[in-house]
Amino acid sequence: MVKLSENKHPQEDFYTQKAPLPSKLVIPLVQHTGISPVLKVNKKDNVQAGSLLARAESLICANVHSPCQGVVEDITQYNHPVLKKSQAVIIKTSKSDYDFSLKHNLDNLSKDDLLEAIRDAGIVGLGGAAFPTHVKLKPLKKIDVLIINGCECEPYLTCDYRMMVEHTDSILKGIEILARVLEVKQVFIGIEDNKSEAVKRFNSKLHTRNYSLPQVRVKVLNSLYPQGAEKQLIYSLARRKVPAGGLPLDIGCVVHNVATCFSVYEAVFLGKPLIERIVTFAGSALKESKNLWVKVGTLVSELFLKEALEFKTEPRKVIFGGPMMGVAVDSLDWPIIKGTSGVLFLSEKDVDLGQEKSCIKCARCVDTCPMGLIPLELARLAKKSLWTSLEEFFISDCIECGSCSYVCPAKIPIVHYVKLGKQKLREKTAKPKA
Amino acid sequence: MRLLVEISPHLKQKYDTGWVMKQVVFSLVPVVIASVVFFRLRAVLLVSVCIIGCLLSEVLVNRLRKRASTLSDYSAVVTGMLLAFLLPPKIPLWAAFLAAAVAILVGKQIFGGLGQNIFNPALVARAFLMAAFPVMLTSWVNPFNLEAVTQATPLALWKFSHQFVSLEKLFLGNVPGSLGETSSIAIILGGLYLILRGVACWRAPLGMFVGLSALSGIFYLKSPLNGSVFFHLFSGGAMLGMFFMVTDPVTTPVTKSGRFIFGLFVGILVVIIRKWAGLPEGVMYSILFMNAFVPLINKLTKPKSFGR
Repeated sequence: MVKLSENKHPQEDFYTQKAPLPSKLVIPLVQHTGISPVLKVNKKDNVQAGSLLARAESLICANVHSPCQGVVEDITQYNHPVLKKSQAVIIKTSKSDYDFSLKHNLDNLSKDDLLEAIRDAGIVGLGGAAFPTHVKLKPLKKIDVLIINGCECEPYLTCDYRMMVEHTDSILKGIEILARVLEVKQVFIGIEDNKSEAVKRFNSKLHTRNYSLPQVRVKVLNSLYPQGAEKQLIYSLARRKVPAGGLPLDIGCVVHNVATCFSVYEAVFLGKPLIERIVTFAGSALKESKNLWVKVGTLVSELFLKEALEFKTEPRKVIFGGPMMGVAVDSLDWPIIKGTSGVLFLSEKDVDLGQEKSCIKCARCVDTCPMGLIPLELARLAKKSLWTSLEEFFISDCIECGSCSYVCPAKIPIVHYVKLGKQKLREKTAKPKA
Repeated sequence: MRLLVEISPHLKQKYDTGWVMKQVVFSLVPVVIASVVFFRLRAVLLVSVCIIGCLLSEVLVNRLRKRASTLSDYSAVVTGMLLAFLLPPKIPLWAAFLAAAVAILVGKQIFGGLGQNIFNPALVARAFLMAAFPVMLTSWVNPFNLEAVTQATPLALWKFSHQFVSLEKLFLGNVPGSLGETSSIAIILGGLYLILRGVACWRAPLGMFVGLSALSGIFYLKSPLNGSVFFHLFSGGAMLGMFFMVTDPVTTPVTKSGRFIFGLFVGILVVIIRKWAGLPEGVMYSILFMNAFVPLINKLTKPKSFGR
């Protein structure tokens, strides 16, 4: 693992503001890893905050709701930060307020009621991979350890930190629900040591209030990248190794992000679907970095139109997600989706990453790789188009965290070569042998 | 607004290859100082000629191959400095220049340039001189007195006349020997800087230390005439090899355990050559020999990835 320059300070101490309501929202149907839900609205339909736009009718799928009152203007292909293009519902907005105040008493709800509330709310993992949460709550194997991810190891991003500081109690209530559904024996909350305020708040809440939780421990982890990567986090907290090609449930663990826990709380206690989230807006091209509560489907360009964000200098790169694993986009007309943790705006000075030179085999990438791979070999073989040899070096185990490219003094875009290699191997297996 | 679309990561460490090589140049400063103290103007001339020879050869290749300049990666400067340190102080300057050309042309560029070579370029050049001009490569002078007649190195004295030089002299470097190999203290200072800055990895040096100490220790226990562990560590090219040759990234293994194993075998071979071969010193051949095994070591020590 590697110590990164964190770039976290500018906005982490400010309270999260609500972003203004944009005039239109672009809501992609697929905002999760899995199958597309089925569209339930038509053009010109009136919708309310929380109206179902698309229903999950397959197993690995998630509902999509309207974040506010308005009219369905169009249903069309639109930019998508993960899929590049996807079917989206475009809503002309009229009113931003909503009233979710359904009060539930946890004791009156059965396990199935809880699962249903979570599934109905369209909750997906908010740490980035956006896997439907309710699927992870019905594991095929016995789970005994629930891990809550509060690492936020990507530089710049502070949305999870603000969530932990501002909504500690709600997160713990969300964890209560998860622990009850999963019937786990132990809960770990993993937080990096650069977020001491969050650690303090969790500890004080756990001391002063009574949560119906099994054995729970807040564990402070070194601020190293990629501490928050699922396999690395499980190993750091529970000392269990997810087998290669396997899932956390194979070793009795499940990981949920802190923001996901908050959404679970809102879904169960307030009946509120996942229609907004905290997003970090940061980077050298912004006048002021900030965290905002943003409605799902908000185009980044709308936030500039409404003056929620302002440029200091012209950006040269706009990234959805963190700088290590995020996706660069070609304009500001891209919608924030459920899994968008941040949008970064980098100015000219931050985008010159240096020319690719020849590898000097310094093996910094080998020493850094959290998966114990030999990245320099992967890059070399991919460059020579020796695709099948890549498998001998366990290319499928690569989590594409970017640590190798980060430390490489020869500026070799190793992750680029790995992605290329994986794609070529996929094409090979898809194509039947001639 | 023109936006760049690139594959992640969008953040990279500031340093580049040139920075890494410059750190090596800095770390060699104590060795340069020690060589100037002991061998005066001769040290300045030899280091300069070797660096210039390497840089000119690099330029020549770049011109021939119509490639952009590679001088800014500082690797030719490092090769030049290391080569100078391997040569006897009184070697004719033309021979040093020739060696510099061999280091870059035969040692490095013939394989395709930086990062591609199998053998340590400076050692290739020294091996070439050893074969072409053996007398030149075995004529030594005393420090401070370059006009004196040919002197024997501490290792030659030990091997051929069973005499020992005091450890203190060996440690400071006040003995006949190659320009930059005599002063162990200067080399250790530079080497520690390199390792503590994270530029060089400690595994290969540790391996070499273990291999050399263990085997020479066993021989010493059998007979003190075989030379003590400290004698073997501080004489000849052992220290320079330990900190500046087995740490060369290009010609050593990339796996963590492989680096240690590489160093370990170099250390063992050094003692074997010193004890049983016809030559009093074996660091150069040990490293060149082990360089050839690097692909095999990499293959055999390929780590299991996380979760396998």
